[in-house]
Amino acid sequence: MKGAELLVKALEQEGIDVVFGYPGGAIMPVYDALLDSPIRHVLARHEQGAVLAADGFARVTGKPGVCMATSGPGATNLVTGIANAFMDSVPIVAITGQVPTPVMGTDAFQEVDIFGITMPIVKHSFLIRRAEDIPRIIGEAFHIATEGRPGPVLVDLPKDVANTMTSVPPIFEMKSPDLGRPDPEQLALACRLLQEAERPVLYAGGGVGIARAVDAFSAYARASRIPVVTTLKGIGAVPTRHADYLGMLGMHGNLAANKAVQASDLLICVGARFDDRATGRLDGFAPGAKVIHMDADPSEISKLRFADAGLLGDLRVSLASLPTELSIEPWRAWCGERKREHAWRYDAPGDGIYVPDMLRRITEADPEVTIACDVGQHQMWVAQHCHFQRPEQHLTSAGLGAMGFGIPAGIGALMGDPDGRVLTVTGDGSIMMNLQELQTIRRYELPLKMLLVDNASLGMVRQWQELFHEERYSEVDLSDNPDFVEVARSFGIEAFRVTRRDQVDAAIERLLDADGAILAHVCIDPKTNVWPLVPPGETNDVMLEGMSA
Amino acid sequence: MNHTMTLTIQRVEGALIRALGLIERRGFAVTSIDASADEAAQQMELTIEVRSPGRSADVLARQIEKLFDVRSVDLVRTDEPAVQLEESMAC
Repeated sequence: MKGAELLVKALEQEGIDVVFGYPGGAIMPVYDALLDSPIRHVLARHEQGAVLAADGFARVTGKPGVCMATSGPGATNLVTGIANAFMDSVPIVAITGQVPTPVMGTDAFQEVDIFGITMPIVKHSFLIRRAEDIPRIIGEAFHIATEGRPGPVLVDLPKDVANTMTSVPPIFEMKSPDLGRPDPEQLALACRLLQEAERPVLYAGGGVGIARAVDAFSAYARASRIPVVTTLKGIGAVPTRHADYLGMLGMHGNLAANKAVQASDLLICVGARFDDRATGRLDGFAPGAKVIHMDADPSEISKLRFADAGLLGDLRVSLASLPTELSIEPWRAWCGERKREHAWRYDAPGDGIYVPDMLRRITEADPEVTIACDVGQHQMWVAQHCHFQRPEQHLTSAGLGAMGFGIPAGIGALMGDPDGRVLTVTGDGSIMMNLQELQTIRRYELPLKMLLVDNASLGMVRQWQELFHEERYSEVDLSDNPDFVEVARSFGIEAFRVTRRDQVDAAIERLLDADGAILAHVCIDPKTNVWPLVPPGETNDVMLEGMSA
Repeated sequence: MNHTMTLTIQRVEGALIRALGLIERRGFAVTSIDASADEAAQQMELTIEVRSPGRSADVLARQIEKLFDVRSVDLVRTDEPAVQLEESMAC
């Protein structure tokens, strides 16, 4: 069999049943082999759409997402999505065609060194030189993408290798090693820190979901009654209605969450990485707190903040080993007061649409909906105001902040969970970054719901220019946007416009009740800002509060 | 602050540049490098001196250790404090 057929068989062997991609010259042998495979290929309309769909698929299913593209521009178009998966620790395997090995290094047509280009943004990468290595490399690629802290793996396949005949069987298995247990001395230290703490806070990141530790984390939070804050990716580590949940921390976090962290004497960091959007100015973050840091990645412990106790290994094991009988009632009461004091308000004046309220009500009406977010102000409103039961309900480009994520991620989510209900929340800036994927929705008749929040501007950048650049607005006016309702209809997608608050109830109903794809175009005041806000370079003690919250 | 580390890496495509690239990307400057190949074991021994921007060389060693083609990392000499906090330069 040819190398390309061997590759496809190896994917089947890995249990892959759907791949996202776009064909081209150097990867044609693989596309030819796909015709004889049960693997379903989903044709995106741009390679970035394919890789971000693979990312959304992986986030929803917990299984690796696979995408493929041809050499040269096809491969470079994957780069943003690979970086996105790297920053958010998402397991994807990206397969690229490459020019034949005899012409590699000669600047051949559609040749780029994608192996070199992606080196800083992959967990690992392979360039296949011999067809007989294909099963081993594919096996290793999936193993590496999924084990420990997950991430993207690139496999570059030259066309002559894809066309080489080989008789190697497509079977190669690697067993995942045990994640390991925390060091007993560090664990004992962590237990002592907890027993001595008067003001502990659980600080949960995306690692809780990735490590399948949501149940263990929720159980520990319920048993210990320690107040909980989460990062953007940690949202859903406990249900957002959990009594001791204070909200997201950081730049656009809830005031109660930031105040609790700043006042804490022990921070229990579970699968988070002290990202600057969460910590604000690092030297002023939780200044009086000791730190217990739990992670599967050894290089995260003490990377940015010294860990008094570092618990490396399986989060579930670590969480189950911690004491739950703690004397923290006065602290819980203080945090509860802050939570009441800083509860979100939804009584914004005027008759314009208040998006935070609309988003909150959507998740109240459908608590099981999965939201795939784009990037910008609407992304923060989703994080602040929507209710989630689990992390995998909230798909967001957290580390990279890649505009254009929302629609492809929604497509991937529906491919991974065809019976699920998925809503993409996007903005008028973000939607234009991968607008072509409306055709993918149409092609596969995916029932993706889309809420387009249109403020006729690049809202988050406009907000920063207003607050930090003396209202000197530079290239943020998008008032020449196309008519998005007509655009959606031209792709064969149902669409309608909402401009007044009294239309919101009917809009939510129509959006949630639709059987097929639907887009609600929600027009809001261009001057609306996201509050509260920690200015860049400040500590989380300094939160600007605006009109709306 | 200068540190010396020794690395053993597998001699496969990209392994050398991956390790060196990571060191620079994490903010460390390579000030000297000595390499020797072990043909039989298909491995390469590297002795690298790096200058730290005030970050932990121990964390750097763990980041290098995660690379799949790296067989071992030893931090030979270091005299830094455990962790130095940097003012956030993020935007």
